[in-house]
This record gives sequence, structure tokens and C-alpha cells, in this order.
Amino acid sequence: MALFDQRPAYAHEPTVAPIEHRFSPYSDNGGTILAIAGADFAVIAGDTRQSEGYSIQTRYARKVWQLTDNATLATNGFAADGKNFVKRVKQRLEWYEHAHHKPMGLKAIARMIQTMLYGRRFFPYYVYNILGGIEEDGTGAVYSFDPVGSYEREACRAAGAAQSLVQPFLDNQIYFKNQTPAPGAEAFVPGRLPMATVLGLVVDSFTSATERHIEVGDGLEMYVVMKEGRQTTDLTDEGQLPAGMKVEELGSMGEGRGEKTFLVSMPLKRD
Amino acid sequence: MEYNGGSVVAMIGKDCVAIASDLRLGQQSVGVAMNFEKVFPVNDKLYYGLPGLATDVYTLREQLRFRVNMYRMKEEREITPKTFTHLLSSTLYEKRFGPYFLEPVVAGLTTPTELEPKPKPFISTMDTIGCITTPKDFAVAGTAQDKLYGMAEGLWEPDLEPEDLFETISQTLLNAVDRDALSGWGAIVHVITHDKVITRQLRSRMD
Amino acid sequence: MNHHPGAWGQPLPAHAQFDMFNPGQSYRQAPKAAPITHTQQPLVTGTSVLGIKYEGGVMLAADNLASYGSLARFRDIQRLHPLGKQTVIAASGDMSDFQWLKKELDSILREENGLSLTDSHPSLSPQHIYDFLANLFYARRSKMNPLWNAMLVGGWDNKKNESFLGFVDLLGTTYSAPTLATGYGAHIATPLLREAYEDKAGIDGKGPLLTAEEAEKVLADCMKVLFYRDARSINKYQTATVTSEGVKISDSKSVETEWGFAESLRGYGAQNQ
Repeated sequence: MALFDQRPAYAHEPTVAPIEHRFSPYSDNGGTILAIAGADFAVIAGDTRQSEGYSIQTRYARKVWQLTDNATLATNGFAADGKNFVKRVKQRLEWYEHAHHKPMGLKAIARMIQTMLYGRRFFPYYVYNILGGIEEDGTGAVYSFDPVGSYEREACRAAGAAQSLVQPFLDNQIYFKNQTPAPGAEAFVPGRLPMATVLGLVVDSFTSATERHIEVGDGLEMYVVMKEGRQTTDLTDEGQLPAGMKVEELGSMGEGRGEKTFLVSMPLKRD
Repeated sequence: MEYNGGSVVAMIGKDCVAIASDLRLGQQSVGVAMNFEKVFPVNDKLYYGLPGLATDVYTLREQLRFRVNMYRMKEEREITPKTFTHLLSSTLYEKRFGPYFLEPVVAGLTTPTELEPKPKPFISTMDTIGCITTPKDFAVAGTAQDKLYGMAEGLWEPDLEPEDLFETISQTLLNAVDRDALSGWGAIVHVITHDKVITRQLRSRMD
Repeated sequence: MNHHPGAWGQPLPAHAQFDMFNPGQSYRQAPKAAPITHTQQPLVTGTSVLGIKYEGGVMLAADNLASYGSLARFRDIQRLHPLGKQTVIAASGDMSDFQWLKKELDSILREENGLSLTDSHPSLSPQHIYDFLANLFYARRSKMNPLWNAMLVGGWDNKKNESFLGFVDLLGTTYSAPTLATGYGAHIATPLLREAYEDKAGIDGKGPLLTAEEAEKVLADCMKVLFYRDARSINKYQTATVTSEGVKISDSKSVETEWGFAESLRGYGAQNQ
């Protein structure tokens, strides 16, 4: 009887497998960071939005951290890893200061960060780091890292959600890519732009990223690390900063050589 | 989109528009040709770009050539950028459930008529199935889309004269495709004004 | 005969054969250690919790339901928990993890309170408790053995004389804002809470804050909307306030709801059309 015939092979019972739901220890909290080195200063910036998927968790969460008088670190990616990584870096810096009675130099911090990131090679901190500050020779410097510790010193770097929007702009404006000096004019040298120009470019980068990327916005924090001898008025003087900025001098963190760090902040669009 | 690579950008200026593309044709990561233009003329005031799957570029270009010629013969006039955009859109939507892998960009100037004595410079772009957007500033498409957005948002300003618009769109395209593995290998720019079209090939990084 | 010390005093299993080449292994029964189990999914769960800062304090809200999947299993569960005189925590997610956490935190607080009586040891501020929770949640996620909760910490810092409101979840993600919500509430209640907060305080939060009455009203509104739209909610909730006066957790209450519209909707009200 046809009713009891064996069913054709293609009509076998669908196999019911339980839905595998493994705990994922990572998340992506959006946002973008950026750093640019000048001759005797560095700007390290980040937006203040923290999001998960389409939800804005908070409009103010810090992504940029002052480490020493001459080093500031920006983190981007999984916020919980970022916070805990910075905590560990700060702890190592404190130990160093107790052991050597001086703050750690910028390039030493950079190498330490690579070691710490690589130490977690098989359970990585899901974080992109950009370190900026003043080198021991007094030059402004930027170091950028990938989550497992590959790093290099650069004149500028963008990372995070809007990296693909911002980095080509920086290539053009900081590295003068695809630009040729007018006949007889001086050659372009990256990393020598005046502070006012650099801050203008940072602001433009973030307003552009805010316009076109949903994970970027709410607020902008720019940490300006200056070599000793530079004045607060270099920032606050007329024409140095775009309108609507709040400037705050951050106090010295220890026995530095007189480098100063300023926090320049402004609102970004919230939509 | 990522099979052959390629990008197109269009921008509005003061009484002019510009449209530009890279020249790379690839097969995934392998570069195949460096003379693959993705921008085509409809008439001397209307150009459109087709970044995406190369085989569909040919198909759609011929399809559009046929339909624009039919329009020209029936109407005995040139098609306007706005009408062309809708023609292109419906052509794409005909293939709603098996689309052409293309994200077209249209740029053109409308000839003044009695009904519309002061037409504005026109650009538009659409997705693979013909959903139109008509920006007031710039339109970007292709594998370097994100990078083009970042560049254009940073460089573009309103009411650029033809030569300034040329510089803006060129810098936008070059710096964007230099950060894109699937675009580049040369570029071509068309600046459309009411009395002429300026077409220039750009020298760029060839890696 | 097995002379291995591990087998001393063990009776010989029935039909066991002596393995002369591997005497230690032969019929000594390996102690069966239970496999280490981790919470891989929440079982009995609480839905969203809400929090808002207001003039002079912070207010949290959570309903009284603990669900077992889609079953409304326990309908009188308190999901707000006081920790000392300045802090309240509110939990969504796995309720057994929450109960374990309560026990753990209570014991820590007891110890700390004992210390703070005897010398100048400061009692735990809301920030301290929040940092502890953040570290605990992050440590547990790093061991791939998470506490399956999203928590709000509300408090009043007596030293700084300001309110505290923070979020922490199973990944160790932390953030704070003047209004917070977990889970479904993050989608449904957050816009309502932010609107109410910003209408008075402004987007910079510098204007006057909501009064306690206004805060209670907006929380009630949010709980109502959540009850209408969140299938894992119940119309019975509590609020907690923390002010300089201390912690107050209300009795269970409910909101007025309107279901008249359901009659006119096919498949919603009684089927008589």
C-alpha cells in the first residue's frame, strides 16, 4: 500500500539539532579614535559615544586616557577590554616609576604595550590602541597597534568604526599624498604642521565621520600633549582653535620634564 | 561588487557637475586591466558611472544605449538627467529578483526650458535594484565607497567653479582609491559645464 | 592482587580480571569527578530594569517576575537589592546568578561594615561596589564562565554629595548615564527616559533635574509601556530610591492599563467576530 511505502530519500525527517548558543566573550562598542604628531606636540582624539548594535549605550564614555605627562593612550573596540587594558598599563607604569624613580619614556611604553598585547595572543584584547605623546628627544610621536601587538611609529593614524573614512583624508592632509608643491615651493614634510592646522583637521575628520557613520558622534575629546616650554596661550589664543571649544589644562602627573597635557573638548552631532 | 572592483564619484559645483572613476579591472585580488572606464556619456551634458560587476557594466550600458536612442527617436529631444535616472532605475528594477550587480551614479546638467528656466546641476545614485537618492553635494559608489565618503565629506564645499571642482573630485577619488585594494590603477575625470566637457586622465599610484 | 595504594581496601569488582602489566589501573575505580559546568545560557530570567537620576537621588525600577523561558514562573521575586545605606542594585538576566551575587555581596558588606565600626575604615561607596561588580563580571567573562546578568547600580555618594548610576553586564561592559535601562528596556524605555530627563535638564544635563514625583511618574510610564509590549514582563513592580537619607524600596505596585481597544482587533480580544 502506497501509504506505508518507504518515503523517498529526500523526504526523511528533518534532523532537529539544538541551536548551538556559545557564549561570546566579545562585543564591538563602536566609536573612532585618531592621533596626529606635530614637531613638538601630539594630538590624541576620540569621540565619546559608546554603542552596541543600533543602541547608544551612553553619550559620554571615555576612550582617551592620559598615562603620564608625556604619553596619552586612545583605545577603541571592545570597551570592557579597553578599560581593563588601560588599567593594567597604568599599573605597570606605576610599578616602573616605583622601581626606577622616573616615568617611563614614550617608546618604552610603546614596546611594553606590544608585549602586553602579545601576551594575550590566544585570547586577545579586542582593542585597537593608538599611543601619542612626546618622545625623549622632544619630538611629537604617534604609535599605533593592532589587537595582538603589531606596532609602528607614524605621523598620524585613525582607528575604529570610521577608520576607512578618516585615514584617506589624513593621508591627503597630513602626508600630502597626491599633492605636489607648486614649482619652486618648499617640499612637503609630514609631521611639521602647526598646532592650529592639526586641531582643525582633527575637528573636520570627526565632524565628517559623525555625518556619515552612525557609531560616531555625541562628543569629541582631543588631548594635546605639548613639549616643555609651550604655553597655554598657544591653544587659547585667537585663531588657534575653532569656535565652541572647551580647554582644560590637566595637572602634572609626576616628575616629568615639564610637558603639558590639555583636554580640548567640543560637542558633536547626536543623531 | 568585490569581484571586479572599481569606484565612481560625482559632485555638484557652481553651474557644473563632475563625475570620475578609477580605471582598474580585476578578478578579485588580481589586476587584469588598467583602462577599464566605468563612466559613459549619454549626451554632452549627461554622464553616468557603473561600478560593479564588469559583465553587467557592458549589458546595462548597451541596454541603456538602446533605450536612450528609442527615447530620442520617439521624443525628438535629449533625455534630461532626471528622466534618465528614472529610466535607469526602472531598468534595474525589472531585474528585482536577480539584479545587476551595479551601483550606478548619474551626473548631468539640465538644459533650461520654459517650464524650468533655472535648472540646478543634477547628480543621483541608486542601489542595485534602482532605489534612487539625489544628493545636493556628492554621490559615491563602488568598493572604495566608505573612503570616498570620508574624503568627499572633508574636501567638498558648495559652489565650486569647474577648475576647483576638478581638483576636489580628483583628490577625493585618488586618495580614496589609494586606500582601496580593489580600486585604482589610474583614474578619469569628466567636468561637465554648459559649454564644454573637460575630460582628464589622472596619473596615480599604480600599486 | 593489586598492591597499588590507591586500591587498598577496595573490594574487587565482580568479574574483574587482574591486569598484571598495568596493576595500578586495572580495577581501581577512577573517582568520577563531575565535569565543570558553566552557565552557558540563562534559565530563570528577569526582564529589563530601569534607572534614572533625579533631584537629590537616583531611582530604579524592576518588575517582580522571574520567567522560566516563556513561563511566568515566579511572580513575586524582588529584583532590587539594597547594599548598605547608600547603594541599590537591580538585576536582569539569570536570577540564580543574581541570588548567588546577593549572597556574595552581602557577605562582603557584612565584613566591611564590621571593619568600619572598629576603625576609620571607610564604608563601601556606590562607586566601590560598582567597581567590584565590574571587575567580577569582567573576570568571570574572561574565564568563559560569565554571570549572566545585566545590572544597574544606583547610589548616593555621601562624601561627594552626588548621585551614582552605572551599568555592568555579563561581558564586563560598563558605562554610566543619567538614565539607564537593560534589555528590552534599552530599546523601549531609554527614549522615554532620555526625553523626560533632557526636557528639564537639557542635553548637557546642566538644567534642573526631575523631582522625585516626576521621576516616579516617568518610571511608571516606562513600566506600563514595557508591560504592554514586553511579553516577559508583569504588571507588578517595585521602585527603589537612594538619597542622602538612605535606601527605600517600595512595596509592589501596578499601573493602570487600558485594554478596551483589544475588543475591536481581530485576534487580540475576545473572538466574537
